[in-house]
Amino acid sequence: MTHYRVLALAAVLALAMLPWVLARHQLSLLTDLLIFGLFALSLDLIMGYTGMVSFGHAAYFGLGAYGSALVLIHFGQPIPVALLAGALLAGVIAAPVGWFSTRATGIYFAMLTLAFAQLLYTVAYKWRDLTGGSDGIAGVPKTALFWGGPSLASPRAFYFVVAAAVVLSLVLCRALTRSPFGRALQAVRENERRFIALGRDPRPFKVVVFVIAAVFAGLAGALFAPFRGFASPEVMFWVLSGQGLMMVITGGIGTLVGPIVGAMVFILVQEILSSYTEHWMIFTGAIFVLMVVFLPGGLVGTARRLVSRA
Amino acid sequence: MALIVEQLLNALALAGLLFLVSAGLSLVFGILRVVNFAHGVFYMLGAYLGFTVVALTGWFWPALLIVPPVVGLVGALLESTTLRFIYRRLPIYQLLLTFGLALILEESIRVLYGPTAKGVDPPPLLQGAIPLGDIVYPRYRLFLVVLGLVVGAAVWLFLKRTRTGLVIRAVAQNAEMADCLGAGVARVRTLVFGAACALAGLGGVAAAPMTTAYLGMGIGVIVDAFVVVVIGGLGSIPGSMAGSLIVGAAQTWGAFYLPETAMVIMYAVMGAILIFRPWGLFGEEE
Amino acid sequence: MRRRDFLMTAVVSGAAAGVGGPVFLRRAYAQNPIKIGLPTVLSGGNAQYGIQAKRASELFAKDIKGKGILGRPVEFIYEDTGADPATAVRKAQKLVEKDGVKFLTGTVLSSEALAVSAKCPEWKVILMSTINGAGALTAKSFNRYFFRINTSGPMGARAVSLYLAEGPMKRLFALGSDYAWGRDSVASFSAQIEAAKKEVVGKEYPPVGTKDFASYIAKVRQSKAEGVYLVLVGQDATIFLKQAHQFGLTKDVKPIMEIVELENMKAVGDAMEGTIGSSRYPFTVDTPKNHAFVKRFHDMHGVYPDMFDGETYEGLEWLAQVIGKAGTADDVEKVIEAWEDSSYEGLEGPFFMRKCDHQAVQPGFAVQAVKDPKYPHLIPKILATFPGDKVTPKCRTEDFS
Repeated sequence: MTHYRVLALAAVLALAMLPWVLARHQLSLLTDLLIFGLFALSLDLIMGYTGMVSFGHAAYFGLGAYGSALVLIHFGQPIPVALLAGALLAGVIAAPVGWFSTRATGIYFAMLTLAFAQLLYTVAYKWRDLTGGSDGIAGVPKTALFWGGPSLASPRAFYFVVAAAVVLSLVLCRALTRSPFGRALQAVRENERRFIALGRDPRPFKVVVFVIAAVFAGLAGALFAPFRGFASPEVMFWVLSGQGLMMVITGGIGTLVGPIVGAMVFILVQEILSSYTEHWMIFTGAIFVLMVVFLPGGLVGTARRLVSRA
Repeated sequence: MALIVEQLLNALALAGLLFLVSAGLSLVFGILRVVNFAHGVFYMLGAYLGFTVVALTGWFWPALLIVPPVVGLVGALLESTTLRFIYRRLPIYQLLLTFGLALILEESIRVLYGPTAKGVDPPPLLQGAIPLGDIVYPRYRLFLVVLGLVVGAAVWLFLKRTRTGLVIRAVAQNAEMADCLGAGVARVRTLVFGAACALAGLGGVAAAPMTTAYLGMGIGVIVDAFVVVVIGGLGSIPGSMAGSLIVGAAQTWGAFYLPETAMVIMYAVMGAILIFRPWGLFGEEE
Repeated sequence: MRRRDFLMTAVVSGAAAGVGGPVFLRRAYAQNPIKIGLPTVLSGGNAQYGIQAKRASELFAKDIKGKGILGRPVEFIYEDTGADPATAVRKAQKLVEKDGVKFLTGTVLSSEALAVSAKCPEWKVILMSTINGAGALTAKSFNRYFFRINTSGPMGARAVSLYLAEGPMKRLFALGSDYAWGRDSVASFSAQIEAAKKEVVGKEYPPVGTKDFASYIAKVRQSKAEGVYLVLVGQDATIFLKQAHQFGLTKDVKPIMEIVELENMKAVGDAMEGTIGSSRYPFTVDTPKNHAFVKRFHDMHGVYPDMFDGETYEGLEWLAQVIGKAGTADDVEKVIEAWEDSSYEGLEGPFFMRKCDHQAVQPGFAVQAVKDPKYPHLIPKILATFPGDKVTPKCRTEDFS
């Protein structure tokens, strides 16, 4: 276990030092990757630990983005306030959605989450006065760290906010999965029937973890809006939900760190390939196919297996 | 009065098209337990190949016969070289694999055909419209209604009445047992996947005269197909028919009477059905 | 010890390889080239627009080869945004921060343009729109780093309204795609056509990506309109025209399109004959300069230039002219100053760049899709040309009164 501790420390140190090592655009890219890494991490909570596949997770990312964008544009509050607003909005909406969706299981559950997500997408798309409609909200500013505090407009400053949020979230999620609550979730994933037979109701657990995952996804979205400077309906669309699933699978389901890595690889592969060739989709597709066939545990899962064998 | 009949026919025609696209998806999910994200791209492939056949021969009918087997063959080939190795895994892995396949296929089509949409004309027999009260109704849409019914009946009969159909259903129920009994599970899976792709391809050829063949038509139809399959229940052909009718009606009448809801009506209907029957209308409780 | 090292090395080298980027992609130029970045759409359903931006750029690159701008060669860098605003901003940021680009163009979706435009003041780069029609870009969301070369949505609606105002049709139905451009154009058109004492008998907004327009066709027919004004995204317009023709609607109700594209004509074919509407750049404009352009374009690409091919070429030519006038391609402020209030003789006619909102004032065209045996598809025949000041809205607004 200590190996992992040292590795974790090394990773945190690397993250702290990178702003002075990387070129400006590389730092922007890394910030981007971390935000989506957080999104994928939140999805792993329900996918990896509770075994629930959601086709509508992007909706909470989107809610976080819109919540944060509105707070920043209309009220000019410091960033942490916007982050809180976004995360809370996502959590509040996720509660009834989770409650309804968990009436079903498997693919039916997934399709219900999709239905609700598309409903939220349509609201964002059509409620022009509030959300800017299909154009979205542009010009979202990066404000300050706290009232009267230092501005977070510089790329380095904002990077640290994002990196801190991601590391903190990872620590919290890890603690959650090791708690009794987390163990109950895994029991539900392993064998739901036995869980019920032992006299426990899985549904409250499912709803609670659904909301927690939404809160972290909302946090990611709330970071996205000031970083990219806008929020638009596309960040709530099912395509992003699907990409989230890919990121988790690429990195390794149920590893928490895996999805963060998976998100980075998923985006980077497409970023780099699309700069080389117009036909990047063919190579990206081929890479995914090969990855699924040859790396069953995703990148981190396979890496762990290799390490334990070495 | 003519308007009501027209709207009814519109709903049925759309249902016919949706059924062709979703029947294959339902089979693949019900029998193979695979979430096939590439299904829409096979539909698109069918449309583009249909365009090519029409462009080469000048006839539409050959396209209906030639294209589905070709698309089915492509699907079977892909399945046997990639999907076959990961059946033991969680269904979600197949999602990433089929997504990868979808990317490859979609871009290949763009390389071959370019970005402009390709128009296909219906065959002379089905061109024009028949009078219906004080309006005219396109012949081709009536054809879609008939095609949907015929194909649906054919597939259902095949599964229920033939020996191969029996084997397929056995594999769906319990693959290991069927394998022990000498069913040749791997071959059955390839056959089913190929047949599903062929159906999607048929849907594409049928759709081309109505919507043209265009990039992005796969993405545009895949969610509709998933909704139809879920409403109807996975693995059920009658379910796909019911689901197609419901979605076709919801979209057609919703667009007419409740236009502001056009974007979500399909999901609202699906949600309502799942609340009362969480495994679809004809689906089996898991 | 070994295990730890292995993992660390793997992680660090993976990160370095990924984040480091393809350094050797930079081509070696003898002189310091002027870079123009195009975060455009090269894949998926909207690729037909990005391809036009690319084609025009390729022709322009060929045309100025040897001369360059200010004696410097011009380098075009294309990026694929997949029609997603988040990716568009990411790609634009990469072009600006990594490639050192100071001029961006080729954005396809208005939402992409709005997102990128909002970042331009921070990056200090110019975004030149040659495709985006959203009125807001030169109104509510205007900033001085944004320049619009193309006819905007409101201007297209204006040209159509002016043409119809003098015509015999009295009852019109409006069908707009349910998103910003569709809704704004229908509103703009309705306001103007009603001011011309005509009646708008119905308005509907089919969702983007509608495959089956049967219900909408039924509604149009029911309303007994004489013409139907269409503001539908490219592929939706193609599908609507095809299906309307199959229902026999186009015999009784004349289709009027805010933009009449060659893409539609190629896909729909003869079923579209007789359709009228506005074109942002009709390749049939009868001037020597345009005929020469069309010939060069056709020789290079084998097809005739569509609307965005023409507008992008005009934008690039004008940008080159303005950079020449400013005497620098590195001081963006000087280029902005040189561009404001400048004139340019385009392929379509005279252009003037308004200082107040950076909208290029240019002629508007009413066209009709007609058959011509010289061409493999229908072509836009110009029915009327309106001078720029009649079709351009008031500064920073989308209004004409």
